[in-house]
Amino acid sequence: MTGMKQYAQASLMVTDPSSRSMWKQAAAIDLLYVGYGLFIVSLVVLSYILGSLNFLPHNPQEMDLSLLMAPPGVAGHLLGTDFMGRDILSRLIVGIQAYFVPGLLAIAIAITLGTVFGVLAGYRGGGVETAVLYLGNLVDSFPRLVLILLVIAAFKPDIYYIMIIVGLTNVPNVLSQVKGKINFLKQKNFIEAAVALGLKNRVIIFKHILWYNCRSLFIIQATLGMAEVILIETSLSYLGFGVQEPIPSWGNMVQSGANYLLQGKFWLSTTPALAILFTILGFHLLGDGLNNILEGRRST
Amino acid sequence: MSETIILRIENLHTFFYARSKQAFVRAVEGVDLEIMQGETLGVLGESGSGKTITALSVMGLVSTEPGVISGKIEFSSKGLQQNLLQDLDQYVQHQRKNGRIMAVQKDCGGWQRKTERLMGDIRGKEIAMIFQNPQSSLNPFVTVGKQITEAVQLNTEIKNSREAQQRALHWLERVKIDSPRLRYHNHPYGLSGGMCQRVMIAMALAAEPSLLIADEPTTGLDATIQAKVVELLMELKAVLNTTTMLISHDMEVIGRLSDRVAVMYGGRVMESGSVQEILRSKDGSNHPYTTALLGCIPEEKHIKDKITLQAIEGDVIDTMNIPGGCRFYPRCNQKNDRINQSCKEHEPALKEISPGHWVRCWLYYDE
Repeated sequence: MTGMKQYAQASLMVTDPSSRSMWKQAAAIDLLYVGYGLFIVSLVVLSYILGSLNFLPHNPQEMDLSLLMAPPGVAGHLLGTDFMGRDILSRLIVGIQAYFVPGLLAIAIAITLGTVFGVLAGYRGGGVETAVLYLGNLVDSFPRLVLILLVIAAFKPDIYYIMIIVGLTNVPNVLSQVKGKINFLKQKNFIEAAVALGLKNRVIIFKHILWYNCRSLFIIQATLGMAEVILIETSLSYLGFGVQEPIPSWGNMVQSGANYLLQGKFWLSTTPALAILFTILGFHLLGDGLNNILEGRRST
Repeated sequence: MSETIILRIENLHTFFYARSKQAFVRAVEGVDLEIMQGETLGVLGESGSGKTITALSVMGLVSTEPGVISGKIEFSSKGLQQNLLQDLDQYVQHQRKNGRIMAVQKDCGGWQRKTERLMGDIRGKEIAMIFQNPQSSLNPFVTVGKQITEAVQLNTEIKNSREAQQRALHWLERVKIDSPRLRYHNHPYGLSGGMCQRVMIAMALAAEPSLLIADEPTTGLDATIQAKVVELLMELKAVLNTTTMLISHDMEVIGRLSDRVAVMYGGRVMESGSVQEILRSKDGSNHPYTTALLGCIPEEKHIKDKITLQAIEGDVIDTMNIPGGCRFYPRCNQKNDRINQSCKEHEPALKEISPGHWVRCWLYYDE
């Protein structure tokens, strides 16, 4: 009976290992990173919603030929106007439309396909693994920008086509990381032990491998992926293959504004460039901070 | 101890195909074992004698082709009676020469699916297994408490997470982990090897299985921790009366924990009987292999008189290329003129030399 009593007492002492303790243990710098990252992400989401609802200070397409390249603050244009007299702030807000859904699509493609193939290769092994790795290397060995330009030449310079390619070319990256995690667990004979415990294969794959072991990997891939999407669009816009005028994107705003930089009209390209800088920084720091907190690297 | 047989292994064959050498690794060839309700069967043997493969075959965990190819593994407990290899032979085709399997064709996918169906309700619930290297058998990213809780929810009637948590904590106490409430939230890397082994034991026992297979539970732990784990297993055995198949190459561990012992060599059972008859035999009526193994244990007289320990000469038999005669013949030091010819050419069958004591040796056959 004493055993039962102890058992009852012990039960009172179990605290729920909630996520809260994890956040409490986290280092201040990581919290700062995550805080800044979340701030940027919420700004991006807010801009997307405002842009979709058309709730903007000015019409982003409306040209005011009397106010070409007006400096910030003139006539209610908070960030000034561009070379066609369009409001830069409104164009910045609408510009996120070029990245938001296409970027999510790219990330979804990379993570879904990468996970499927990674699990196939890692869990099955043998011939399947060889085939998947071969395909991955094939995709990896092709220069990404060339592939994107080929697709643009074959179809049209649509941001969705570009982002599908970005997603597909990211697949080998996710694949090899997922496969690495599975191999690591296999070599530690954890998977065998889990099967012996009576766990079903799908529970092992989805819960133990993907959820417990690859969770942080997905978060990092997602945040870095979003940053990458913005960078790729910017470089393509600079080459003139990105989102096409008059639809604004941060890339083509920098590109078109750069022509007037030497005339002292710096705000035309500096504002979108700063937006790119802070957004990418935000996504990177968010990924980094979450990684440190989830993996408990600094706290233990 | 009742006389119900929990597990009966008959004529088990587990081969692997070594593609590079175009030959079979005959890891287990014709093993017969029986485990009664409540007893601990110690399986003793050198590395590579087929002990672990026998255990993995029972669990249906041998997946490399061609894997288990024939035999009978009968498991009966709690009204459940089942041959764990039932109907699996339809996925395999053997080609025999002189009564020995020379080639195998196996439908691995079909075999795998069938095994999953056969073992679905048995793995973890009825037969649980403890592995060697406990630290690597736990999920490194999940706290040990969560893992035990999951095992409880999976294999017992307790589905409510709160109750399962309490049950897990109860088991952590049962396996004598100090301050279990703190350890509950530890990740495996935060625990020592001995503690991880205790966690593994807790996970295995949480389902209150009919049969526990302990595969070298003390290997990979320090000597002091080994002693503690053995002590824990002895205590649990006394309290829970779990039927156990204990696999080890450590005669000390086997001697302390087992009721009966089976000695394996080269994929065959060489001798089986009660622990007294085999490890503490007075009249020395053992298989020469067992005698040689016992000669490897340092005793007081060795230290006092500075006698060198007797090692068994030669290497463990190459299971890819097994000679026709007795498997231990090349290393045996008790062969004499009377039986030399038989040893070389024919493999003896197990012979009951006293009730319950079986030996596979020509020494015990009178011409």
